[in-house]
Amino acid sequence: MPPDKDNPDDISKLLRLKRFEQPGPEYFEGFLRDFHRRQREEVLRPLWRIALDRAGAFFGGDIHREIIGYGTAAAAAVVLFLGVVNFESVESGKQPVAAASAEKSPDTRTASANMLRTEQPRYVIDTRPVSYHEPPFSF
Amino acid sequence: MDEDPRQVDNELIARTQAGDSSAFDELVRKYSARLYSLVYNMTSNHEDANDLLQDIFAKAYRSIKGFRGKSSFYTWIHSIGVNMTINFLKKRGRHFQLSLDDVDANIQNDKEFIESTSGSNPVREADLKELQQRLNEAMMKLSYEHRAVVTMFDIQGMPHAEISKILNVSEGTVRSRLFYAHRQLQNYLEEFREFRSPS
Repeated sequence: MPPDKDNPDDISKLLRLKRFEQPGPEYFEGFLRDFHRRQREEVLRPLWRIALDRAGAFFGGDIHREIIGYGTAAAAAVVLFLGVVNFESVESGKQPVAAASAEKSPDTRTASANMLRTEQPRYVIDTRPVSYHEPPFSF
Repeated sequence: MDEDPRQVDNELIARTQAGDSSAFDELVRKYSARLYSLVYNMTSNHEDANDLLQDIFAKAYRSIKGFRGKSSFYTWIHSIGVNMTINFLKKRGRHFQLSLDDVDANIQNDKEFIESTSGSNPVREADLKELQQRLNEAMMKLSYEHRAVVTMFDIQGMPHAEISKILNVSEGTVRSRLFYAHRQLQNYLEEFREFRSPS
């Protein structure tokens, strides 16, 4: 019974057959029992959980998964940032940025600011430059 | 003399609003089969249809205090059903399986299906089964909005006016969606006919 392209009723007749793709009456009785069970479970659920589920339904997404996903991503970003900062500090032989700025006294900061405003910059190399080291290899 | 169905529904709604949950059970019994048909034919999956139907009635129960009777309960719960099903389908996206085996198991026991195939040979019967599968696949290729219109008009037999109220669109939009959807379905099934025809 393939559909006749010239007859628009043909497709409607076929679609009407789908009307009977239904479970039997026993399914609907069972459905009502399940519905009652779910209602009882809802009564026993904590309020925060109900609120979370409804918020998820309202925004049309799985809010639990989103919260876990965003939380994990934020935590990973923070860990990565701290790791990079500490790695750079270790590489340059200095204290971490956060620790260095915390130890700096207000007087030092004011003096540095004044120097920047009034004097020509004066560069002081506290440690021996890398290029002064003997190369570990020879040609 | 039979009571007006809308009046019966309004009484059940009033009782539910007053706290009588058994009145809501009556509404569930009355509309679950029709809503199942809507949700199942939009999702093509019995398990999804079952879960969604539970969610639809749960939402209707929570919202029933706000029901003012501007539309019939039938229209109201169908609106909830269509919106929730479309939201579900958007979320489901590509992760879905067509439960075609379930479809076949159900439809083969159906009286109309048996009558339509009686007197036919086994080849024709196999064609019908395959055509039914193709039809389901073709339905799944329609957009959610077109699928909703086809389900309500062709499968559930609703008039255009009722569908326009449920979807909150004009009757013209319903008719044009229906026209476009029929054409799409015919094209999909035409491919099947060309494949099956020996000539």
